[in-house]
Amino acid sequence: MDAAHPLMPPLYTLLGALALIAYAVAALLYTAAVFLDRRSLGPFATAGAAMGAIFNLVALWLRGHTLHTVPYADILGSLSLFGFFLAALHVVLEIRHGDRALGPFLMPASFLFLLLALVLPPRAASPGPEMRGSFFALHVTLNMLAYSAFTLAAALSGLYLLASRSLRNLASGGATASRLPSLSFLVGATRTSLSVGVATQLLGLGFGVAWAVQVWNPGSRWLLDPKVLLAFATFGFYAVVAFRAHRGAAPVTTARLALAGLVLLALSLSSNALSRVHGFDRFPPVARAQRS
Amino acid sequence: MEIVFVGWNHRTAVLDLRERLSLTPDRAREALNGMFAERLLVEGAIVSTCNRAEIYGVSEHADPVPELHAYLSRFHSVDHETLSRAALSGRGSDTVRHLFRVASGLDSLVLGEAEILGQIREAHRRAAEMKTSRAVVNRLFTSALECGKRVRTETSLGTRPASVPGIALQLAGRVFEELAGRRVLLIGAGEVVELTLRLLADAGVTGISITNRSPRNAEALATMYGGNSIPWDDRESAFSQVDIVLSATSSPEPVVKAAGVKRALSGRRRGPLLVLDLAVPRDIDPAIDSIADVYRYDVDALEALARKNTEERAAEVPHAEAVVEEGVRRFHDWYSGLQTVDVVKGLREKMETLRRAELEKHSGRLSRLSIEDRQLVERVTEGLIAKILHEPTVSLKQGALEERLDRAAAARALFKLDEERE
Repeated sequence: MDAAHPLMPPLYTLLGALALIAYAVAALLYTAAVFLDRRSLGPFATAGAAMGAIFNLVALWLRGHTLHTVPYADILGSLSLFGFFLAALHVVLEIRHGDRALGPFLMPASFLFLLLALVLPPRAASPGPEMRGSFFALHVTLNMLAYSAFTLAAALSGLYLLASRSLRNLASGGATASRLPSLSFLVGATRTSLSVGVATQLLGLGFGVAWAVQVWNPGSRWLLDPKVLLAFATFGFYAVVAFRAHRGAAPVTTARLALAGLVLLALSLSSNALSRVHGFDRFPPVARAQRS
Repeated sequence: MEIVFVGWNHRTAVLDLRERLSLTPDRAREALNGMFAERLLVEGAIVSTCNRAEIYGVSEHADPVPELHAYLSRFHSVDHETLSRAALSGRGSDTVRHLFRVASGLDSLVLGEAEILGQIREAHRRAAEMKTSRAVVNRLFTSALECGKRVRTETSLGTRPASVPGIALQLAGRVFEELAGRRVLLIGAGEVVELTLRLLADAGVTGISITNRSPRNAEALATMYGGNSIPWDDRESAFSQVDIVLSATSSPEPVVKAAGVKRALSGRRRGPLLVLDLAVPRDIDPAIDSIADVYRYDVDALEALARKNTEERAAEVPHAEAVVEEGVRRFHDWYSGLQTVDVVKGLREKMETLRRAELEKHSGRLSRLSIEDRQLVERVTEGLIAKILHEPTVSLKQGALEERLDRAAAARALFKLDEERE
């Protein structure tokens, strides 16, 4: 079934390298702007992040075009998409609130995810019809967007806890507080990120269910697949956290929970090995049987 | 002719003497008129604040400082020796440097404070109004203001507040993205509360609630800032309605207990709560620190922050001094170029350069002329320039010193001689 796959075109490598360079430069500039008080470098950092996101997006499109599937039909493509969403969400948030404090944390993450996608070659599997179609595309895209938003919420929560501790110890040397965003901004931005994540994951899961119903045999018990269960658990957890945050829960508690949710996210993202239906490089037995 | 200053400030004169030497705007005008009447100064301006009274000017006297001391001793009816002993003075570049340091906040009681810029601007405005400032003093003061602004934009000398109300405002900025629309509860109605409230209100804080043992004081302050007064007994429950609490009563024991605050906050839609306890002894039970999202600062903490900010400001002094020195050098360049001979020389050089450029431009056609004709063109153009410059040259050398300086400054500006130099 697996056919020898052509190498990715040189343009993909070039765009990926440009995106990597842009993310790396942006990470350095954000660090200098935020932690070394070189505020004049801030706009260049933003430009670097935006350029990185654009190159990343075009590289993703080219990847999908070359592999004849959506760009995130395998785990590496998904990582690259995840990095892109992190960078794009950060640029949007920065433009909206005029605060660059997240840059030094998120840009290295975008860099790392894209680097993995570039260094590890894609498997030469030619995707079957199950891995195509708008339900599948929307399912993966929206879930990736949701995971990016939850990651962003965790980063904001980490900053909140850092800023909170720094403010409490200010008189005894909490110098970093002046370089961190205000607490109220972090509270608001965390709440927004959680809400975006919950809303997009709800839709993503909905499209995923629709796709599964179309593709798989009802007898395949895909609902009991570990990854599917983890995805629903992640959604349930964040839905409760976001609901509590909107109902006026203490920001410190929301921040701790949003950070704790990273464990679920990591499990959810890394659970493909346990999954029958989310192994991107193989087709689920039921679907294979149906096709033959 | 020399630039000179004499004065007294918080470093050289005790408060009692500073009070006797202080100059209200009217007294400053009177003093300047007297100094002009006695020809002690040909230009002058007085900078007078609560911490300093300094006279800057241009004098034709060989040694003007003792004569200025004598005059001011008479003017203030202060013993000459006492006055001279406490006086600061300087001549030439020392005067320029001193004013530039003052404008930069380097000589202020609170290092880097910005109010002094407005006071120097006001002193200059007053001198211009009285026509006691001319070319030199005008340039001295505008350069000082420019230097003060550069120090504040190019260094962080004045960015960190060093007063308790300023620190309170800074903390509020770190907790809240913006202060507009934030609600504040004031416990007490004293001077410190009012001062801090004024800063917070300027920053956009609204929804001001005031509580005080004496409701009359609370109502008066509430009326002044468009707030509302609440009963003293509701002070703890009011924590649930606000974002900032500011307390400064003279109570010998805490007036806000942690248990009451905890109870009040249990029903609150939670966000960060900033609590500023400016009272000694403290008004707020320190145990409220254990409540999540409550950020409490007492006077000790605020003073520690003020000290830390002052230290950080002090670290910026070398950068600020470098900006001042650059300003002093620029002023010195301008001032030495103001000597009449220099202006005349500059004008002649400029005209000669223009003449040569024009001849060069038409050299093609001129080359068709005979040698005699070309020499004639040279002589005619040289003669024309000499005639044009004759009247201005005579004018620059005639008249009283201050008039000559005015004309020299005008000529430098009109013909852009300073730009040529730079």
